[in-house]
Amino acid sequence: MRDFDLVRKNLFRKPLRTILLTVSIFMAFLIFGLLTSLNVALDRASETGAASNRLIVSNKINFTQPLPIAYVNRIAATKGVTGVTHSSWFGAFYQDQRNSRFVGFAVDPETYLNLYANDVRLTDAERKAFVTERTGVIVGKALADQYGWKVGQTIPISSNIYVQANGRRSWDMKISGIFTGAKPADSTTALYFHYDYLNETATFGRDQIGNVAVRTASSDLNNSVAKAIDNVFANSPYETSTVDEKTFGQAFLKQAGDLNLIVTMVVAAAFAAILMIVSTTLVSAMRERIREIGVMKTLGFSSPRVLRLVLGEALLLSTMGAVLGLVVSALVLSVLSKSPAASTFGDLSMSPLVALSGLLLAITLGLVTGAIPAASALRMSIVDALNRR
Amino acid sequence: MSLMSQTRSVIVMNVRSIPQRLWMSLATVVSIALVVAVLLGFLSLANGFSQTLKGSGAPDVAIVLRDGAEAELNSTLSRDQVDLLGRGPGVRSGADGLPLVSAELMLVVDGIKKSSGTKANMPLRGVGPNGLLVRKQARIREGRMFAPGSNEIVVGAGLLREFEGFELGRSVRFGAQTWRVVGVFEAPGTVFESELWADAPVVQSLFKRGTSYQTARVVLAGPAALPAFVDYAKNEPRLQLKAQSEQAYFAGQAERSGLLIRYFGWPLGIMMAIGALAGALNTMYASVSNRAAEIATLRVIGFSGFSAFMGTMVEALVLSAVGALLGVAICAVGFNGLSASTLGAGFTQVAFRVQIGPEIIGQAVTLALIIGLVGGIFPGWRAARQKPLLALAT
Repeated sequence: MRDFDLVRKNLFRKPLRTILLTVSIFMAFLIFGLLTSLNVALDRASETGAASNRLIVSNKINFTQPLPIAYVNRIAATKGVTGVTHSSWFGAFYQDQRNSRFVGFAVDPETYLNLYANDVRLTDAERKAFVTERTGVIVGKALADQYGWKVGQTIPISSNIYVQANGRRSWDMKISGIFTGAKPADSTTALYFHYDYLNETATFGRDQIGNVAVRTASSDLNNSVAKAIDNVFANSPYETSTVDEKTFGQAFLKQAGDLNLIVTMVVAAAFAAILMIVSTTLVSAMRERIREIGVMKTLGFSSPRVLRLVLGEALLLSTMGAVLGLVVSALVLSVLSKSPAASTFGDLSMSPLVALSGLLLAITLGLVTGAIPAASALRMSIVDALNRR
Repeated sequence: MSLMSQTRSVIVMNVRSIPQRLWMSLATVVSIALVVAVLLGFLSLANGFSQTLKGSGAPDVAIVLRDGAEAELNSTLSRDQVDLLGRGPGVRSGADGLPLVSAELMLVVDGIKKSSGTKANMPLRGVGPNGLLVRKQARIREGRMFAPGSNEIVVGAGLLREFEGFELGRSVRFGAQTWRVVGVFEAPGTVFESELWADAPVVQSLFKRGTSYQTARVVLAGPAALPAFVDYAKNEPRLQLKAQSEQAYFAGQAERSGLLIRYFGWPLGIMMAIGALAGALNTMYASVSNRAAEIATLRVIGFSGFSAFMGTMVEALVLSAVGALLGVAICAVGFNGLSASTLGAGFTQVAFRVQIGPEIIGQAVTLALIIGLVGGIFPGWRAARQKPLLALAT
């Protein structure tokens, strides 16, 4: 305990210097906490609801190219498949094309809710209403909150792709239910409506669908089922590419750019900067204290104990800054995740793994920055130390 | 001694004494350099992307889309509409006497991106014989143009850089069809370089698009001819389409893009700057306390407090300026000109080059100098107010 007091008192002997160093370390860990959590959140968002035994079948040319609706039944007949549904991107927006765009899919309600029961949560009554109401639509809670939509209300939803036979570009849809996700943090900014309603009214794309989702009996069968499906349609005008949901989501995310690389580079730059700042400042702080160390050694402080004192000071400094930085970034993240703009990133909160790796990083930083002053204190002979001015 | 020469000599003393605090000063320089490099890295990514979009549009070419379609992918035009557009006011004619109109359709196909090794969206554009004529920057660099009616494609130099397997002479498959790469075209600094081009009628038939197109590019007599043409496209009952200059079309996209990169770059740059500022303050306070005896001596022999302040101030500014230069150099050598690609407004990959520019260098250097200024003011204040005798006594 006495040693800890000594470490603490030494650290705060020049309070301004220590506060400034803490600010530097704090900033580096704030950046680390925010960026790493964002990276983790994006990774998770691409897997939101991704079940290990679900596959996505899309047109081999690209997932924006259509598939014939007749494929659904043929895929369902593949061995190892226990459920099939399909969805078509609608290019949905409400009133303003630029500022109120959201995720909207035309789906087959019964099979879709069957496959995604866990991700699209509705009451039994809402579910029943959606399946039976031809113009019914279910909207995510976040979306409903944003526009103040209520169950039973009829809303005009426009498409930036489809046009109705009567020339209109919006479809009147009656809200059958408002769904929540599997976890409270899951993004619920989407809407789903009847494919039949679209198919009967749109001027083009008749009997074509976007993607088919497949549930396999077990994730062990994923590869063989995917191969079997793609084989069925090989050399047809619509060849398919079947991958598991997670792979599909991550490939899409990677289209934006190499976020991992950017995060790594920024965090590395921030830490290179504090590593230099902290270690050079500690070296110069130690130089001021050389005589004191001589006195301590004269009083009988063993060299290892002096080493522990110096290293302890560096460790205390770095963990102090790190804990502050991690706590503040966790707070910032929890505030951010409540804003609607951030909901597209999914669950933004700091994961225990990020916090833990932050702490490990802090200990490493403390040991590295303390190493040079600690080594010179350890080697210092009493005579040299007392002679120094 | 005048105030000027006093100040000058203190500044010289300060700067010359930097090697005494070599390591701390170096840490300040490097941390400021890293701030500048990170901020400038983000800004030059955004800059490269938006310059590529802005460089793509010509003021005298009109691009025509279905009214309400924001992107090519969501637009549709019929053959008849394209013919009508060619008869619009102010449309320039080609060497053959026919209007310079290029009716095009675009669809998204998969390619493997080199950087990630995963599938990414590429635009396959069906163009007519006028495809090259309506894009002044574009020319065939290697090989030749595709032959009409054949399964041949030409590939943009940017796409070639970012995607695997599109080298001249290679065969590529999209779905059940095989295409042969017969040429490489370049259109430096434009989005067109990120595309694959093939003969429009072949694309229409192989991708079951009937005779429909998505956009038409129309060369006009000059930018002044645009308003009349826009009116024509909008009001002619058989058209009711939205025409705009290609320049405005891409400027609109540039405005909305790169924002995210900027939104990330600035907060990160500022957070790092605060960290570096704390380091700079420590270095400068150390400098003042190192030179306490020297400052006191100067004050005793009649030097003003102002000269002590300026000495510290200029030392901080010199450190931050050196840091800024180093940061710009890191960015210029390490990032400038690197090829990158991201998902553009057309839902396909746009290849571009990271591009440093004077404006963004100015912004990053300003941030560095602010660090130097703030990092100099407070320690300088302490130097100026130092009691002469007290300092000498210790």
